[in-house]
Amino acid sequence: MDKFAVLQFYGLLKREVLEHKNLFIGAPTVVALLILVATTWVATQIDQNQLAEGLRYVSILFDGLSPFDMAPFFMLVAIPFYLTLYVCSVIYLINTLYQDRKEMSILFWQSMPVSNFQTVLSKIVAIVLVAPIFYVLIIFAMYLIAMVWLTILGISNDVDLVGIGWMFLAAIASLVLIYISAFVTSLWLLPSIGWLLLFSAFAKKTPLLWAGGVFILVGFLEDFVFGTQYLANWVASRTSDPNQYLIFEFQSVFERIFNYDTLFGIVVGSILIAGAVFMRRFTD
Amino acid sequence: MSNIVEAKSLRKNYGNFTALDGVDLTVPRGAISGLIGPNGAGKTTTLKALIGLCDVDGELSVAGRDPRIARHKLMEDVCFVADVGILPKWLKVSQVIDYVEAVHPRFDRKKAEKFLSTTDIPKNKRIKDLSKGMVTQLHLSLVMAIEVQLLVLDEPTLGLDIIYRKEFYDRLLNDFYDGNRTIIISTHQVEEIEALLSHLVFINKGKIVLDSLMSDLPDTYAEVIVDVDKVAQADALQPIYIRDLLGKKSYTFESVPREQLEVLGELHTPSVADLFVAKLKEEKNG
Repeated sequence: MDKFAVLQFYGLLKREVLEHKNLFIGAPTVVALLILVATTWVATQIDQNQLAEGLRYVSILFDGLSPFDMAPFFMLVAIPFYLTLYVCSVIYLINTLYQDRKEMSILFWQSMPVSNFQTVLSKIVAIVLVAPIFYVLIIFAMYLIAMVWLTILGISNDVDLVGIGWMFLAAIASLVLIYISAFVTSLWLLPSIGWLLLFSAFAKKTPLLWAGGVFILVGFLEDFVFGTQYLANWVASRTSDPNQYLIFEFQSVFERIFNYDTLFGIVVGSILIAGAVFMRRFTD
Repeated sequence: MSNIVEAKSLRKNYGNFTALDGVDLTVPRGAISGLIGPNGAGKTTTLKALIGLCDVDGELSVAGRDPRIARHKLMEDVCFVADVGILPKWLKVSQVIDYVEAVHPRFDRKKAEKFLSTTDIPKNKRIKDLSKGMVTQLHLSLVMAIEVQLLVLDEPTLGLDIIYRKEFYDRLLNDFYDGNRTIIISTHQVEEIEALLSHLVFINKGKIVLDSLMSDLPDTYAEVIVDVDKVAQADALQPIYIRDLLGKKSYTFESVPREQLEVLGELHTPSVADLFVAKLKEEKNG
């Protein structure tokens, strides 16, 4: 790939971040602030001696243990961010190929020498790989603030700071796992990504209604004609198991990606994404 | 002179509505071509087809490419400016420059900034906060900084006041057009662009009703303010359009030898606007 192509793709990603900074940066920032405010409020309700005692206990708990062994603790803390990312992803995917058609700016975007494949690919990369970076950075900033606060609390209450240091390492390790989890889950949910993009590129109005309505209709027809519910069961199995959304250890990444179910989903998702690229060809 | 646009039998339907009904069109390289037509005539559909934004049936070649299968490659050689609404409103001026610089291999940032420096457009403002005239100036500054063969303008000055409109066309001629580049303009404000044009196309109800070099018009079309006593003689020459003009009658003729017309009264080449009306009336009357 030549240098210009790389810079061009960077330009496309930058456009996505600028256009959707509320989803990429604003939403996780609000969640982080809410968590910090809530934590601070809770801390003010607890007796300072009890708080110091709790910190001493946690510090001993983390001291000397592998950060990756303790990372799951922090991954559970990050669940609100995880949920926010998925809600924002749905909003992003269903609107991203629709909004510019609605406001007619598609005529500007399409007047540039950028293929529809590049455009759609940049949108997928933006939400699958770039958005989680911002989320992870904001979680990191939140952890940093919390660690500074805990360190001050530890110093003023004579708590062993080494344990707090280990805790911070575990928090950082959790960020790596959170990012990998977000990526692997995106592959797992690629059919949903493709489906939303397809209707974002297709619908002239209310793309979310189209995406939901057509899915319900197809499921209903399957049930009515064949008496089966394969589609509904397949989708339910992909969306209702929380274990699919978090990866607690590196060793499981390979098996999470390279299994029949995920690879089949990637094929289905790719076909739907190709449909979105095709639908994007013309503006009328 | 080779043609930068060659279209044969272009057809496009939107449901029951026929937007293009067998459009044949050729635009010579280096021309400033005016695509004139009433509302719903098929102007925008034609222009969108030329840049691959609309699927049409028929043969189509623009700058040697088929826009339907190679739009993104074609857009390295072609720029498009539609009416003022198409720049993304959420972008800042500096960000739209950054974007075009990132994605267009033939964009010259310094040139764009030089053009912008001659305007009052603040670079830190969002496009939604600019006036219509400023948005058009900005878009034109971007386009003029791109080294392309063809510029397609669809109602580029719609909604602008006379000062912005005049400035737009002045800059287009002075800073963009160099005799080798081609410009296709669609507009209702025919009088404003008449002096710029070297090629003229009329479209009505999805069909091309005139496709001519401006320099050929005097050989084909003539308007005569006919003397009262020669009305019967003028009627016999089968004018394509007759209109009342301050107590006299103005006749527009097509392909009638000038020697035959000179004896009827005051003879001149019709303006584009008058010719447009004449051709449309001719179409209407069959």
